[in-house]
Amino acid sequence: MTGGHRRILVVEDDPETADQLVGSLKTSGYQVDLATSGNEALSRGAAGDYAVITIDRMLPDIDGIAVMRQLRDDGIAAPVLIVSALGEVDDRVRGLRAGGDDYLVKPFSFVELLARVEALGRRSDTIVKETILRVGDLALDLMSRTASRRGKEIVLFPREFQLLEYLVRNEGRVVSRAMLLQHVWDLHFDPSTNIIDVYVGRVRRKVDGQQAYPLIHTVRGVGYSLRAPG
Amino acid sequence: MLLAKTLTSSTFKQALIAIATFGMIVSALFGYVYLSTSSYVRGRSDRDIMMEHASLQGAYERSGRDGLITEIRERIADGNFANNVYLLADPSSAALAGNLREWPPDITAANGWIEFRTSQALPGAANRPLVRAMLQTFPNGDRLLVGRDISDLDSFADQITMAMISVAALLFVLAGVASILVTRRTVGRIESINATSRAIMQTGLDQRIPLRGTHDEWDRVAENLNLMLDRIETLMGEVRQVSDNVAHDLRTPLTRMRGRLEKAYHGQRIGEDDQTLIGDTIADLDAVLRIFSSLTRIAQIETQARKGAFRTVNLVEIAGEVVELYDAAAEQVGTRLTVVGDHEVLVTGDRDLIFDAIANLVDNAIKHGRAGGQVVVANENIDGKAVISIADDGPGIPACEYEQVFKRFYRLEHSRYTPGNGLGLSLVAAVAHLHGARIEMLDNSPGLKLKLWFSAPVR
Repeated sequence: MTGGHRRILVVEDDPETADQLVGSLKTSGYQVDLATSGNEALSRGAAGDYAVITIDRMLPDIDGIAVMRQLRDDGIAAPVLIVSALGEVDDRVRGLRAGGDDYLVKPFSFVELLARVEALGRRSDTIVKETILRVGDLALDLMSRTASRRGKEIVLFPREFQLLEYLVRNEGRVVSRAMLLQHVWDLHFDPSTNIIDVYVGRVRRKVDGQQAYPLIHTVRGVGYSLRAPG
Repeated sequence: MLLAKTLTSSTFKQALIAIATFGMIVSALFGYVYLSTSSYVRGRSDRDIMMEHASLQGAYERSGRDGLITEIRERIADGNFANNVYLLADPSSAALAGNLREWPPDITAANGWIEFRTSQALPGAANRPLVRAMLQTFPNGDRLLVGRDISDLDSFADQITMAMISVAALLFVLAGVASILVTRRTVGRIESINATSRAIMQTGLDQRIPLRGTHDEWDRVAENLNLMLDRIETLMGEVRQVSDNVAHDLRTPLTRMRGRLEKAYHGQRIGEDDQTLIGDTIADLDAVLRIFSSLTRIAQIETQARKGAFRTVNLVEIAGEVVELYDAAAEQVGTRLTVVGDHEVLVTGDRDLIFDAIANLVDNAIKHGRAGGQVVVANENIDGKAVISIADDGPGIPACEYEQVFKRFYRLEHSRYTPGNGLGLSLVAAVAHLHGARIEMLDNSPGLKLKLWFSAPVR
């Protein structure tokens, strides 16, 4: 898959949600195809070469998970984001076990959906084996698990390092709180407190405190984004 | 265990009362039989003695002392009278005739009935036989004793007594054993109903009380209870279906609503105020959605469906991760958050749910504890139980509120204005119930100590 490959299949039966989805994805520069039923999703999925497919769990004809299974059986390897109104962990786990790559619970923020689609799209790119990740003057040594800015070491707990690494790997993209919980803590639920903000706040003080410019930015209503200025 | 339950059951107590009543009736009956039998036997023997006496008296009256002596000697020689005892003595107690060698020393009465033991061996009689006899003193001072060895009668009575006691004892033993067996059967059936009820309370409505196919009243009770459970299960299923539908039907419009708000937030705006307004509305909407998903989450945990995914997990590891996550939050209010206790405390359960429960408890402890205080998470193996406790040194909660706080949306008066939705402890309770864990609330003086008692996994 090439880097410029930005075609997405959206499977969603609710017209307004579909409109909003397609609209926001298009605004972000994706080419979007829409399928409003399971059968349509199967025929479109088999025909096109998509970077990411989003599938609503509840469709009028075929269950979203069955659609995904069928696509997998047909040899479609594109990452699948399951959008579920059921939202409970069982369904999430079942969705992932059936071959889904990520899940999102309705109602979701479109920024969050974009963040996840971005992350999934990138996953299908080739993974570069680097030992040192750099963003601006920040350097992460993946071997020694140490971080530094302008050569000055930042003392981080292991989990804090993991969090920073995840932000760095998604440089320039929005990372939601739920994505952090999922990838840094392996938690598939929302602890319904501001605990992540407090945690990121501490990492941010360590990383951005008394530096020339901040790297970690808050994205209101969604989560965080790490990027260098300019 | 079953025996203990059998012995304390009400059925067994009733059986004991029945046995006691029955026993008294049987004893009375046997007593009556004994008395009438022995008096009949004695009566016969007395009549024989009286006839013998009368005939000897006749002989005396007809032919005087010598005639009587002759008569007595004849009788002694005759084998048919072997059981009888005779003695004729002159006024100085010297024996004139009879098979007793001497006048029994203690006898002073002149006429009437006596009983005595003689040291003299009588033919075919026991050692020191018991003799019942009739006395008569003739006008010339001669005394006649006509009697019978009644040792036999006595041993006959003894045999009857013995037989009756054995029969009674046997009856009591049989009745006892029978009542234990019957009670045990009853208790066994009730226990199987109880066991199923407990299993249903712990694991869910999918179990049924086993039938024995005997079509007796127990099977009918079990059948009816099972029908009732079927009905409850159907109703619960319908309720769940409804809430699933509500959840789904609400989420679609809510998604649209949130989408529109987001579009408005990021799109062309009239002014800065509008952006704040929209941003706040999105935040409120998210808060509503969080409550909504917490409720469905608790409801879902309560259906027990997640038990299938249980694995062996280490409480210490989970507690460590929670503490790590909340470390920053504790630091913010200057609270010291620590983990102590054993290195490995294993339970069978769902990691995410246990994490969520501990996270809620730690979150509460930090929020409602004392700023700048201490929150201690302790893991322990106690008597085959896996125990985790979360303790703070804040104001604590009054003991009368211990039960209340687990109710949905319940909030203590003094915490009404701290952030939270009153669902955290409901979730903890649901998770604990799913894992069969017991929640214990203790006064940490000062503060609250909440303990979760899990049963350790079977190895």
